[in-house]
Amino acid sequence: MSQSLDNTIAPSLSGGTIIVRRRLSKKKLRRFKPYLYLLPAVALLSIWMYRPLLYTFYLAFQKWSMVPGTSPVFVGFDNFEHLFHNKSFIDSIGNTIFYTVGLLPFSILIPMILAVVTDRMESKSKNFYRAMFFIPMILAPVSVSAIWRWLFHPSNGLVNYLLVKLHLIKEPIAYFSDPGFAKWIILLITGWKMIGFSTIMFSAALTSINREYYEAASQDGAGSFRQFVHITIPLLSPMIIFMLTMSILFSSQWTFAYIDMLTTGGPYGSSTNIYYEMYRFAFSSLNAGLSSAAALLFFVVFGLIALGLNMVSRKFAFYDN
Amino acid sequence: MFHRSPIQSFARHGMLVLLCVLAVFPLYWMLNSSLKNESEIFTSSIFPHKPVFSNYTYAFTQMPIVRMAFNSFAVSIMMTMLQLATSLLAAYALVRWRFRGKGVIFAILSLTWLIPFQSIMIPNYVLVNDLGLNDTLLGIVLPFSVSTFAILSLYQSFQSFPGVLIEAAQIDGMSDWSILTRLIIPNTRSTIASLGILQFINAWNEYLWPMLIAKSMNHAPLQIGLRLFVNSDTNMWGSLMAATTVSCVPILLIYLILRRQIVDSFVRFGIK
Repeated sequence: MSQSLDNTIAPSLSGGTIIVRRRLSKKKLRRFKPYLYLLPAVALLSIWMYRPLLYTFYLAFQKWSMVPGTSPVFVGFDNFEHLFHNKSFIDSIGNTIFYTVGLLPFSILIPMILAVVTDRMESKSKNFYRAMFFIPMILAPVSVSAIWRWLFHPSNGLVNYLLVKLHLIKEPIAYFSDPGFAKWIILLITGWKMIGFSTIMFSAALTSINREYYEAASQDGAGSFRQFVHITIPLLSPMIIFMLTMSILFSSQWTFAYIDMLTTGGPYGSSTNIYYEMYRFAFSSLNAGLSSAAALLFFVVFGLIALGLNMVSRKFAFYDN
Repeated sequence: MFHRSPIQSFARHGMLVLLCVLAVFPLYWMLNSSLKNESEIFTSSIFPHKPVFSNYTYAFTQMPIVRMAFNSFAVSIMMTMLQLATSLLAAYALVRWRFRGKGVIFAILSLTWLIPFQSIMIPNYVLVNDLGLNDTLLGIVLPFSVSTFAILSLYQSFQSFPGVLIEAAQIDGMSDWSILTRLIIPNTRSTIASLGILQFINAWNEYLWPMLIAKSMNHAPLQIGLRLFVNSDTNMWGSLMAATTVSCVPILLIYLILRRQIVDSFVRFGIK
């Protein structure tokens, strides 16, 4: 475009060529402008996200201890083979599914009920409740873990004290060193932290529902439960699918800090998840290859899941236009 | 639907109050334990009979808490500022112009949702180490200097900015740079502030990366210092709860003052 302009105008205006050229260079600059504005973000993303991601994919086929002065050695698919013979890794997949499914009531079911229950209250009490539910969300995982560790302390914790007092248990339980309890406690704490956030998200989605639907439904004699099933749930479906996607993609990251703080994955790997295993492969066993192989594998797995959920959302989410 | 019996309403509020207690009781127990003396800490009294501050003084002698709080603020503010700066520029470019490769840029941005930090931690760790930034605050900040979440959030808010205003400013001869700094930013202040608060809280609560980089308490944010303390001293529950209380206070204060805005910003932008 600019090239042809140059040819047609420049010869006829002998004195004006400089102006035209300057204008053209300005025009060229204009074309670069968007890239200039994007440069800092894209450069930093390349350095801190995409370069490391590609490097991790490369490391998946190498053996390396990360010790300075040593370099990675190509080992083909060995790391993947080791991965599938690694018992703690296989166990961690089961736990990851446990956490992901276990978090759904906390990120969808309970918050949806809470949002509906508080929706029609006067705004003062509504805001009070929601603000209270939200407090756990803003607290740091380390602080939260320290507090719960104290509450669940085997000999002096309040939870054991109360349960013994109420004759629900005979002996105090060592929650974090009992394979049957450890992952349930971690699930509970992660869920406790999530409820407030999801409640607020569902509340926001609810306020956009047109009240007339409910008036029409109650004139037709539908009770509040039927209104919930036939009006609220379908109209909340985009939010439900959004929270479902978030839960599936991120639950392993949400539980990470609590696993590290409370059980370090134990006892006997009963509370670990895939991301925690990746961390341990890398920074306890100093096996960068194994960690990277797991990273590559789950990048593909979660990518496929996200793609699937995206398709589900397009097909089933009901939008009120 | 709008006429409920008092009993129903009572039951409803009762249930909600119970849930509120569940949500905040752990915090109360933390405060309560932090004020109990050595003989009382292992009892289940709901109030400390004789509140003492010895736990706090002990915690302050064991950890450089003031230094760590400063580190936390420094790291969180640097992360927030860098993220806001990079995302303001990027979001502006995406809203303002049509250009070749825009689709690729969006793909690059959206795909980062699928990259958990655990899958990029090794190369980043190696790089920070090579740069000599291990155990420094800058080393903690750098990988978080850009946030695609912030870019896409701002992009969405900028999109609703009236295009007529931009055109008018252009006709008045405003440069592209001043359209961003003198027109768009002043008029979307509250959105940017909400996003900033959200990014600040996220930065404050960041876990895995600061844990890998911070080796000594003097270079650790509060959270990581607290983690070192928790893992070293297992029976000083009073002072541990005192230190935890201190670590929660700044965020709780911010929440108390900006509650509305914080809740709104989470609703508006979600989480990452």
